[in-house]
Amino acid sequence: MDCFMSPADELLSKYLGLSINVWLTLVFGFLIVPAVLGVSFGIHKYYVRTLLCIFEWATLQMELKAKEKNHQLYRHYTSGIVSKMPDSTLRQEIQDLRRTADCLSLEPRFDLADVFFFCRKGLESILDDDVTKCFSAQELESWNLLTRSNLNFRYISLKLLALWVLGVVIRYCVLLPFRVTVAVTGIFLFIVLSTVVGFLPSTKLRRYLSDTVHLMGYRLCVRSLSGVITYHNRENKPKNDGICVANHTTPIDGIILANDRCYSLVGQLHGGLLGMIQRAMVKSSPHIWFERAEVKDRHLVAKRLRDHVADENKHPVLIFPEGTCVNNTSVMMFKKGSFEIGCTVYPAAIKYDSRFGDAFWNSSQSGLVGYLLRLMSSWAIVCSVWYLPPMNRK
Amino acid sequence: MGAKQTRSEHDHQDLVEKTGFSVEQIQNLHKRFQQLSGNEETISREHLKSVPALANNPIRMQIIEAFFDKRNQHGNELGSYETIGFEEFLMVMSHFRPPTLRTTTEEKETMRKEKVRFLFNMHDTDGDGKITLAEYRKVVEELLSQSGNIEQEAARAIADAAMLEVASTNVPNMRPDDFYEGITFEHFEQILKDLEMESRMHIRFLDVNTTKVHCGK
Repeated sequence: MDCFMSPADELLSKYLGLSINVWLTLVFGFLIVPAVLGVSFGIHKYYVRTLLCIFEWATLQMELKAKEKNHQLYRHYTSGIVSKMPDSTLRQEIQDLRRTADCLSLEPRFDLADVFFFCRKGLESILDDDVTKCFSAQELESWNLLTRSNLNFRYISLKLLALWVLGVVIRYCVLLPFRVTVAVTGIFLFIVLSTVVGFLPSTKLRRYLSDTVHLMGYRLCVRSLSGVITYHNRENKPKNDGICVANHTTPIDGIILANDRCYSLVGQLHGGLLGMIQRAMVKSSPHIWFERAEVKDRHLVAKRLRDHVADENKHPVLIFPEGTCVNNTSVMMFKKGSFEIGCTVYPAAIKYDSRFGDAFWNSSQSGLVGYLLRLMSSWAIVCSVWYLPPMNRK
Repeated sequence: MGAKQTRSEHDHQDLVEKTGFSVEQIQNLHKRFQQLSGNEETISREHLKSVPALANNPIRMQIIEAFFDKRNQHGNELGSYETIGFEEFLMVMSHFRPPTLRTTTEEKETMRKEKVRFLFNMHDTDGDGKITLAEYRKVVEELLSQSGNIEQEAARAIADAAMLEVASTNVPNMRPDDFYEGITFEHFEQILKDLEMESRMHIRFLDVNTTKVHCGK
């Protein structure tokens, strides 16, 4: 029997077995435990800095090559000083001029106004000159080695192509499975622990435990996306007696904010996996989920919110006045209604750095799963959160 | 370092009121100014001449002169500077700002008049308020010099013909012996009255572009 198993198979099974162990240890040690405890090794920051260095090198290569071949490099992130008119020739401009001056003959003429073209071109060159800009000591804009964000992608050089292929391999074969594992483990743990905590009687201990469980869940989700979040103005962090409003740009906004403290989310009850998560969440911490029918009843919604806010032990409610985009239905049907509750409002601003991964979800182009896959195969999600000073209705 | 920054911000605020640019545009232009001047405080004609893209422009000398012309500074002085600072640079640039949606009709009129004035100053090199035949010939020659095929004689003839046309339009009762001194500013305006200047004589200055992230709805 043994001779049927070739030595290669043996080696492979031994190797795979070993590697699964290594895998699990890595995941557990580096991700789950720190997430539970809330500490960070700072690996992500080093990762992000390394990435930036690589991007700059890649961009430099592109610019040098483009300069060699005298191509126009489309500037993606930096802006010029002026927006140059599309290159019209002198002939076209003069024809336009003549036409406006009601002159129909196109034979060679000379008019005082012909000087316009040269005047403008001259000013434009003084202001915005490609050659001087190319090697000026300002920040290089970067190409982040994702084809989807580079509109200028052409075969530039072998080095760059090799780097890009390497990037694709790393992103899809190493990072993506890693992140999916973490996300799945995280959600699973979260559901289980949240349900367990829900069985405890309602005491301070239970609140503390449920906070820990929730924070662990959010942190794991963020780490599964390789998220690096910087919080500014932490002294303005929302307290238990109000609502928190934020700008809404991606479906993961809620998770980004909730990485720092627990919030009570508001939303519509879904079915399927999402519904399961929602139900598990609500067992240990009071979130506000609405049935489909209840969403239409403004007063009911407002009443529930008011009751929630009045209770000091409950977390601040997280509201996106623009409406969520989880299900393409507008859950917060009232835009200004959320402010009519009359409590303290804590505004927060979230800004994503699109150099590492574009967090934009075009819901007409791809569904949520496609979007999440794309998010997980980007380099990282880097964003900043600013807590703005709380406001009260006057 | 801190004090220096606040002073330059204060200056920029003044400039916003004087020129009508936004603070970000002024900062962008300041960077460009420093690039052109090699990080010095003032720009001289040599600095502007060294811009490579200007080399092909036939009226480059006039354009460069326009920066150093005191008449373009919204004051009443005549003559020209040797070197200009950032404020003068901005003032010249402000002639080319396009109208926004909020510009009133009067403001648009004023802006148009300023642009015409700018062009007039460019032609009238000795600053006497009139474009004489000699000055006009010079401009035409320079403009046509790029095409190469036109000789000086032909350029002169064109200039003379154009001048004559201006004269006949504006001074209809001129007798053949009268000497037309030159195109005054009013005549100049009159000639360019029907021309749609707004789209030709402005440059779209960009604001600093923070990358926008959108929501998928």
